[in-house]
Amino acid sequence: MSLYMLLLYDDPKNWGKISPDEMQKAIEKYRGWTMKPFTKGHGRLADDAGRVIRSTNGKGRVADGPYSETKEVLGGYYTIEAPSYDEAVKLALDHPHLEYGGTIEVRQVWGT
Amino acid sequence: MPDDAVPLVEHLFRQQAGRLTARLTRVLGPANITLAEDAVQEAMMRALRTWPFEGVPANAAGWLYTVAHHIAIDAVRRDRSFGDKTDAIVAEIARSGTTCVPDETGVGDQLRDDELRMIFMCCHPEIPRDSSVALSLKTVGGFSVSEIARAFLADETAIAQRIVRAKKQIRERCLTLDLPAGRALGERLDAVLDVLYFMFNEGYTAHQGEELIRRDLCMEAIRLGRLIAGTTLSTPHTHALVALMALLAARFRARVDEEGDLVLFDDQNRALWDEGLIALGFRHFDRSMSGDHVSAYHVQAAIAATQARALTPELMDWPLILELYDQLVAIDPSPVVALNRAVALAKVRGAGEGLAAVERLGRDPKLRHYHLLMAARGQLLSELGRASEAARSFEEALGCAGVSEPERRFLRKRLALQLTRRAE
Repeated sequence: MSLYMLLLYDDPKNWGKISPDEMQKAIEKYRGWTMKPFTKGHGRLADDAGRVIRSTNGKGRVADGPYSETKEVLGGYYTIEAPSYDEAVKLALDHPHLEYGGTIEVRQVWGT
Repeated sequence: MPDDAVPLVEHLFRQQAGRLTARLTRVLGPANITLAEDAVQEAMMRALRTWPFEGVPANAAGWLYTVAHHIAIDAVRRDRSFGDKTDAIVAEIARSGTTCVPDETGVGDQLRDDELRMIFMCCHPEIPRDSSVALSLKTVGGFSVSEIARAFLADETAIAQRIVRAKKQIRERCLTLDLPAGRALGERLDAVLDVLYFMFNEGYTAHQGEELIRRDLCMEAIRLGRLIAGTTLSTPHTHALVALMALLAARFRARVDEEGDLVLFDDQNRALWDEGLIALGFRHFDRSMSGDHVSAYHVQAAIAATQARALTPELMDWPLILELYDQLVAIDPSPVVALNRAVALAKVRGAGEGLAAVERLGRDPKLRHYHLLMAARGQLLSELGRASEAARSFEEALGCAGVSEPERRFLRKRLALQLTRRAE
């Protein structure tokens, strides 16, 4: 078994159009996924754009986000356990985030 | 403390959206409904971004309530239009946010009162009825524009415009959440009941649009009716309306088969009727009996109750139903009521007399192209063994405007039946 990180990106504006009832359904679906046995850890990131530290001439320079061109922000992450990359991707494909237009980045934790 | 053992109450968000919007509108003033709606939407968004990871709080309604109040305070501080009233309104929101927090089921007396005032304002006579319906569903019911549009099979833009118009009336005419007094209160109550019945009928009779959302619409009309029926504002005809809606809604699942085809009343599987709703209907029907005034809701509820009492189609008391339709025609002489009376007449005195009554109605220009009249005529002709004429009637029904897809399938089946009969 190896550990994989799933990084969940989404455009918060996408959620503005859905109804209260649909929001509740979305929460229930997400929560259902969070509770699955292969999920080892998870976290929600704060809504602010964050800070990014870049190196300029070997020195760290702090800037406010956003730090990418896209409107999508990293909203949360999971650590999951899976036997292979393919399996991890397969599990991630089942995440409701995709149904609601989000993006998931799957990365293996090195050495696991 | 997050608790995942307890699932969220069904439609909690929708219901809380309505209650919270009503609450914040009361604090911010009706001219600021949109600000209230935005704060509620934002609070729900935060829940959506947080709860999947952090778990659902034990008092979910309370969480939404507190967060929406914080958001409203921030919004008022940012919004310059409040001017020197800003501090007073902020204090008022803060007070509201700490004093009337909902319990775990999300209800409280204060919140019920807010909803009630909101629905009474939405049904103000200055607001056109279709706008009243849309605004009530949006602000009190917690439905989105898209959901309302789907239920009414209407364009989203059209629904959004109705809501905008209603809000404009509220602003321009400075409508308040104060309940009218004296005679005006009775008139307003009638307007509210009228809107609720219209809302219910849109969901119940359309036979098109999405089944699930239409059902939710009907249940919302019943919920609001019960809300009013549970207060001192209630009248016998309020109970009659709730009874009528509950008894009709009880048949929701039996009206359509697995293929989505219509099932005639006589052919409905009564085991599919919702017993809870029937019991609710009878409870309110009993309570509608006090007082002398007999409203159209009373008579319609009595018809629905008579139908609900018949455990098999053979046990149906058609003479009583005919008598009730006679009463209903006297109160509401609309052609549609008269058509239903003709169908009852056919059951009591035979298809021949029923047909004669339907033919008389068919001379009314308003009904000449009414598909349900043609369908009823076809049915009666078929019972009289006049297959060719019956077939022609069903064909004419199919040619009418406003026939929904399930109705169309139903009529085609009837038509095919006549054609094979004629061939025999």
